Amino acid sequence: MTDSKKANFDPVTLEILWSRLISIADESAAALLRTSFSTIVRESNDFATVLMDANGDSLAENTAGIPSFVGMLPDALKNFLKRIPIENWNPGDCIITNDPWIGSGHLPDVTMAAPIFHKGKLVGFSGSIAHLPDIGGGGWSSDGRELFEEGIRITPMKFLKEGEPNQDVFDFITANVRVPSQVIGDIYAQVTAQQVCAERLREFLDDAELADLSGLSSALLERADIAMRKAIEVVPDGTYRSVLDADGFDEDETHIECAVTVDGSTLHIDYDGTSKQIDRGLNSVMKYTYAYSTYPVKCALDPETPRNEGSYRSVTVSAPEGSILNPTYPAPVNARQLTGHLLAAAIYECLAQAVPDKVIAECGGAPTMRSVYSGTDDDGNSFSQIFFASGGMGASPVADGHSCTAFPTNSGSGSIEAFESLAPLVIWKKEFRPDSGGAGEYMGGLGQEVEIEISSEKEIRLSMMSDRQKYPAKGLLGGLEGATVEVIKSDGTRPHPKARSPMKPGEKLTLKFGGGAGYGPPANRDPAAIENDLRNGYITSAFAKQYYGVSGEGE
Amino acid sequence: MSSDIGKRIRVGVDVGGTFTDFVLVDEKRDLIFTGKRLTTPEDPSLAITDGLERLVSESGTSVPELDAVVHGTTLVANTIIERKGAKVGLITTKGFRDSLEMGREIRYDLYDLFFEKPEPLAPRFLRQPVDERIDAKGNVLRPLDENTLGAAVEKLVAEGVEAIAICFMHAYANDAHERQAKEILDAKYPDMPITTSTEVAPEIREYERANTACANAYVLPLMQRYLGDLSQKLSDQGLKQPLYLMQSGGGIASVTRGQAAPIHLIESGPAAGATAGAFYGRLTGTEQVISFDMGGTTAKMCLIEEYEPEHAHEFEAGRVRRFKKGSGLPLKVPVIDLIEIGAGGGSLARVDNMGLLKVGPDSAGSEPGPVCYGLGGTQPAVTDADLLLGYLSPEYFLGGEMDLDLGLVKDAVEEKLANVTGLSVEEVAAGIHTIVNENMASATRMYIAEKGRDPRRYALVASGGAGPVHAYGMAKLLKISRVICPLGAGVLSALGFLVAAPGTDSVRSYVSRLENLDWDRLNRLFREMEEEAMAQIVEAGADPATVTMRRRADMRYSGQGFEIDVPVPDGEMDGSAADVMRQSFLDKYQELFGRQIDDLPIEALTWRIYASGPTPNVELNFAGQQIDEEPSDKGERQVYFPETGYATCRIYNRYALKPGDSFRGPAVIEERESTAVAGPDTTVSIDKYLNLVIDIDPPA
Repeated sequence: MTDSKKANFDPVTLEILWSRLISIADESAAALLRTSFSTIVRESNDFATVLMDANGDSLAENTAGIPSFVGMLPDALKNFLKRIPIENWNPGDCIITNDPWIGSGHLPDVTMAAPIFHKGKLVGFSGSIAHLPDIGGGGWSSDGRELFEEGIRITPMKFLKEGEPNQDVFDFITANVRVPSQVIGDIYAQVTAQQVCAERLREFLDDAELADLSGLSSALLERADIAMRKAIEVVPDGTYRSVLDADGFDEDETHIECAVTVDGSTLHIDYDGTSKQIDRGLNSVMKYTYAYSTYPVKCALDPETPRNEGSYRSVTVSAPEGSILNPTYPAPVNARQLTGHLLAAAIYECLAQAVPDKVIAECGGAPTMRSVYSGTDDDGNSFSQIFFASGGMGASPVADGHSCTAFPTNSGSGSIEAFESLAPLVIWKKEFRPDSGGAGEYMGGLGQEVEIEISSEKEIRLSMMSDRQKYPAKGLLGGLEGATVEVIKSDGTRPHPKARSPMKPGEKLTLKFGGGAGYGPPANRDPAAIENDLRNGYITSAFAKQYYGVSGEGE
Repeated sequence: MSSDIGKRIRVGVDVGGTFTDFVLVDEKRDLIFTGKRLTTPEDPSLAITDGLERLVSESGTSVPELDAVVHGTTLVANTIIERKGAKVGLITTKGFRDSLEMGREIRYDLYDLFFEKPEPLAPRFLRQPVDERIDAKGNVLRPLDENTLGAAVEKLVAEGVEAIAICFMHAYANDAHERQAKEILDAKYPDMPITTSTEVAPEIREYERANTACANAYVLPLMQRYLGDLSQKLSDQGLKQPLYLMQSGGGIASVTRGQAAPIHLIESGPAAGATAGAFYGRLTGTEQVISFDMGGTTAKMCLIEEYEPEHAHEFEAGRVRRFKKGSGLPLKVPVIDLIEIGAGGGSLARVDNMGLLKVGPDSAGSEPGPVCYGLGGTQPAVTDADLLLGYLSPEYFLGGEMDLDLGLVKDAVEEKLANVTGLSVEEVAAGIHTIVNENMASATRMYIAEKGRDPRRYALVASGGAGPVHAYGMAKLLKISRVICPLGAGVLSALGFLVAAPGTDSVRSYVSRLENLDWDRLNRLFREMEEEAMAQIVEAGADPATVTMRRRADMRYSGQGFEIDVPVPDGEMDGSAADVMRQSFLDKYQELFGRQIDDLPIEALTWRIYASGPTPNVELNFAGQQIDEEPSDKGERQVYFPETGYATCRIYNRYALKPGDSFRGPAVIEERESTAVAGPDTTVSIDKYLNLVIDIDPPA
């Protein structure tokens, strides 16, 4: 048995041990994903599994983890440890919270952590975050005025005590959610994932003949830190600024001011001048702001290094307290994605001034447009279905943006056949929206048009969470903007983009998803590409004439 | 002939990218012969007829005496990878013209802003919507409008399409509109190959189903021609019996079936490899086997439980990034469930931006190949490391056909890797070997864990050029105690064709909670599937009396998104079957996830039948051909093992080893197409089938 602090971690050993730690996090993630009831976990990968060392620093994160959760678990764990001193953590314990300021920014996300003991010694922690199918309150919506409308809040407490469920917590959750079996099922999916993580870590320590993770951890964190610093050093020093506006809620538009300062191997992002917090669920707590700020930086500058605590040391983020990017309790935060998803574009507009070949233009699918349909079907079964689909991605310096692809979030769109088999809805159309991608040397990805009919005999409830009806995705370096979002009912009215409203049987709703923005001036676009766009009907001949000065036959 | 498959003289032919492999099993004389020809890519039948002629003459028989030729090919997969198929038009439901291009809308690489997506097999201008609509229950919401259909097809024909695919919404629940459209098209364009989605993949999920229909249409003209030509050539050569084909699901099928649904042939080679692994399991009485096939570019692992490889229902073809899940075209086709990763003899080693040593997935391929080939490769590969470690002989690579250059390798490793990492050449070589083993072990661990199993209980059956070199190291990482290296591992797939049973899968989607199932409908579905499967399997040479049918369903808790595979009772079912299925689901859920939830409804989505004939009873006897008169001892050389460093190690000639021979490791056992490595903590023995069995001592 080697004392990990003194072990020699050469480039071979470190590669092998690191890969194994990542596959531990991935195996833990697979266990969670396959048993989850939450559509948003499944379609949006809205979960994370993280292996942490005995200090609570992140050592390995699941490969497919999404940006929302970057850096959140170690911070939550450190908060847990403040409340529950380490000597009170026993083998088999598992701590739970969904507090937005401690956990991951809104109530539906449950954050859990459990200690891992090996040969009687605390060697690390397994952690997970996942979006639950329900958390009580008003359901997933953006129009709540206070946190208390958005569901129950579980402050950090033991969900399991030495392997046994803490019955009080269990009963309390069960009594306050709409689909208790599924909610408890999903919490157990997290518990199982963490148990897998713990078992695998113990095997790992035995195989590697290590007593603990301490020396290995510092070696790994250092490598990731160095990689990120090297990547930042490529960016010329300076402060780069951008401003971004979004629809916000009614007259409260969202205004974001972003300053990216690069100083040698560190990068600081500051949001001074950004809108104040509002009494609607668009507020993004500081942790969420941090996650959605560091993620795009990593994509642009250091996409290949596996993530751990070291990846984040050189990137800092600040936002004024009381702003929409750093709201104070008890601000409503349920639809914080409508604000957080905007940050990538603000940061890329800054980085484009320094490293234009490393970033993409703004995305029509940022923020995502989500619509939730709930009610009772004709057989009396209650349903609640989230419709997943995406607008177009922004164009890059080398290629057109992908159509119907989300960034910075990553959400798939499930099968419409499967969707229709679960809810009394008929989708009459789900097709590209021609002319919706911003023109440019490289064109923004197309949005899509979706037409949904309510086919039940009873009225149902619609909850909309959307933006970009006023402000489209902006082009980069001469590229033009993408198309705005539109939501129209069959009677010609437009439902509130961020509120809940009833829909009658037979009514139809048309969702037009936004287009991505273009990159580079349209005049530079390859004529063969324009011809191809016309032939495939990605653009109409009117569009070709207006933006490229080309008269050609559309399909 | 029908029930005779599995007896007498049969030949398996596997057309791979580089080589076409042959195996002849003559049960009359109890002999096996093998052969190898370079593949002739422009017309693969050339190598087949040529190699067949040579094989029958070497084995003292003749083509007319053959009772069967069983064939598998990478042609379908390569046509899709290389995008050399037909110009395909797709007819879709109005409103869903772009499903094929939108795909799953997912970014398969979370951090790469510049990732590419695969091009759809039918571009947008060749996708035409038609007014029609069926709902999730199979009810017609809008009848098929023949006028818009006519106009749509005219446009496609004017564009010069060579094949047409039809995919309508919810056709898995009611295929009336697809059939109606096909009849109309058949009448009007009798020479146009047409594929409906329900013919090839009658399953829920429109994108995957449309993709499968398009992929089938894409390879259909080529495969119809190819299989027709090949049958004709073999018949001209004197073959009196039909040609058979290996399907991706591991069953043998007729040429007629192959011509109708060629997409089901896409993974025939790997399926045969796994089938051969299962055969060796049965032969050696090893119920739980992981077949491990490591070649130049990839390693494939397949779990075999009680002599049966597991099945999967989806396969991803034509990946933009070869080893990246999600970067290809998902197809709903029955396949053997195996994993493939970028780890092979040609996998390249490099130092990444963090100063760590990485191996693969990029490969040197066969040209220029690893540095040691001396063909211009400069970046060290796994084979180079294996040479440095003494596992491979510089003089006896490919049976001595190729000399390996040790000096070049040392220089390249020194310059590209050792200097950068501060390690010695030997340390780097050992590192490359261990890292590639760890990559494979880690993928295997994950694959097995997802099935709720433990690798320790399995034996490794190693094949491929690099498989036996790495099997011992990989077994140690997985805590596996036995490695089996069959003789003739280089032609294992071709042997797989001969040990496979006639078999076919049939499938239907019908989504319902168990308590709401309409039993008349379900019984009707199963009767349909059984009739369909029986017809196909009889065509593939099985006697109806010997056919067994297994029923399965994809089930999940209502509300979940992943289904698990659950057995379904045989015969006419009624309400009591729901309880049986419920219990089977709960048991399986418990096995996979270690828990169950009692009070939640369970739903089924897709129902399946696996029909198979009897497994041929093949006795393996290499005795006539293989035993070498030379001594088994080829001397000694310095070979590296982690426990000992470089130490003197005995080298054996595989062809001179006889059943019952046994010795202690460390040992290197050389044969023409591969080399087996056994560490100091092993006992090596030769069983009566000339398999090399490496038993690893329990940890001290």
